[in-house]
Amino acid sequence: MTHRLIRRWLPAAACAAAIVAPAALTAQAPPRGSAELLAQLSAKATPRLSGKPDLNGTWDHLGGIEFIRPTKLPDGSVCIRGCAPPAGAPRPVPAPAAAPRPAAAPPAPLFPKYKPEFLAKVKDLSARQVETDSGLRCMAPGLPRLGPPGKIIQTAKEVVFLYDDVNGAFFRIIPVDGRKTYRKDMPASYLGDSIGRFEGDTLVVETTNFNDDTWLTDNGAFHTTDLKVVERLRRVGDTIEYTATSHDPAVLVEPWNSKPYTMWITSQELEEPARCEDRDLDHVVDGTHHDNPR
Amino acid sequence: MRHRLLGVMLAAAVLATASVLSAHHSVAGQFDLSKQVTLKGVVSKVDWVNPHIYLHLDVKGDDGRVVTWSLGTVPTAMARRGGLTRESIAGASGEVVTVECNPARNGTEHLGWVKTITYADGRRYELSGR
Repeated sequence: MTHRLIRRWLPAAACAAAIVAPAALTAQAPPRGSAELLAQLSAKATPRLSGKPDLNGTWDHLGGIEFIRPTKLPDGSVCIRGCAPPAGAPRPVPAPAAAPRPAAAPPAPLFPKYKPEFLAKVKDLSARQVETDSGLRCMAPGLPRLGPPGKIIQTAKEVVFLYDDVNGAFFRIIPVDGRKTYRKDMPASYLGDSIGRFEGDTLVVETTNFNDDTWLTDNGAFHTTDLKVVERLRRVGDTIEYTATSHDPAVLVEPWNSKPYTMWITSQELEEPARCEDRDLDHVVDGTHHDNPR
Repeated sequence: MRHRLLGVMLAAAVLATASVLSAHHSVAGQFDLSKQVTLKGVVSKVDWVNPHIYLHLDVKGDDGRVVTWSLGTVPTAMARRGGLTRESIAGASGEVVTVECNPARNGTEHLGWVKTITYADGRRYELSGR
């Protein structure tokens, strides 16, 4: 098997290297998402819009699948996962360095800290995640699990967040017109109701009125309908530092800072995500699931 | 320099997508990764859906009867990163392809998880590791 793979991939890899060599000699751009690239982009001047940082744009953060490093060879063969390194080929280049975290953000614990009386519930939900996690059934993931927006449209009075998520296309309309009160008579929802404001150069978005169908992250991290999520977006050059803090004092010991991101502007436009239609869960014979915290 | 060459080669294969992955169930919870089935057939349909693309493979048995397998594979965003499309996965009309897959653990017949697809022209898609 190994020999067969070597015979197959070695000539093709050599061919690919020969084809790309001229481009490689002139290619200077740091890898997508690398610390080097982010340093270059964050050093640029920060554009402004009516005195506020201009957040308009499509923003990349590697989309949570940065671990996918496909190889594509000239004969049309493609390896997405578990690719055998071609014999004699140089060692694979490591994945891009993780984006630097905003200096003000403390390290994110992997999981919210629950009050002792709720630990059994978390454990039970986690053990039955295949049954209990609405995120596995193509529902909106909620906040902060949805992660940073893929595109931001900003006017003087509102900011719109757009998402092309594996579970679907989602939007949030966030007024930044100085209002202090949330809309009345709005039903609780997966993505809640938001109000934004600028604190200096940081857009602060406070969101409430969630339903309790979603989780904060994997593994049974439930929340109540009293959840409040505070997101902070600070544009630095052509990057945005994004953090989200979840407040749910009825069940959490302390506010939880989920994984921070550094996003960078991209010319790659959002696409309509393929329809989400789960066909797998009815065939899962045990509760095993893999973790992919956002 | 050689490292840089490979890095560029890999980067060239990457298509930018902004989709985010959800948490998801384990493939091992649904498919028996210790078993492998090799099928020869014609891709009659590709369902370009999330969280997993499904392709339908018409396999003719020794008795001449055609059975359609339902075969899950990677999410669309991963396929896009590898430059794969619905059309490239489907292959040419009537083209016989060879699929290595893992069968369902719960005994559901004709359900599998794609490991590799090899096409008549020799190209091969490795989708789920070895």
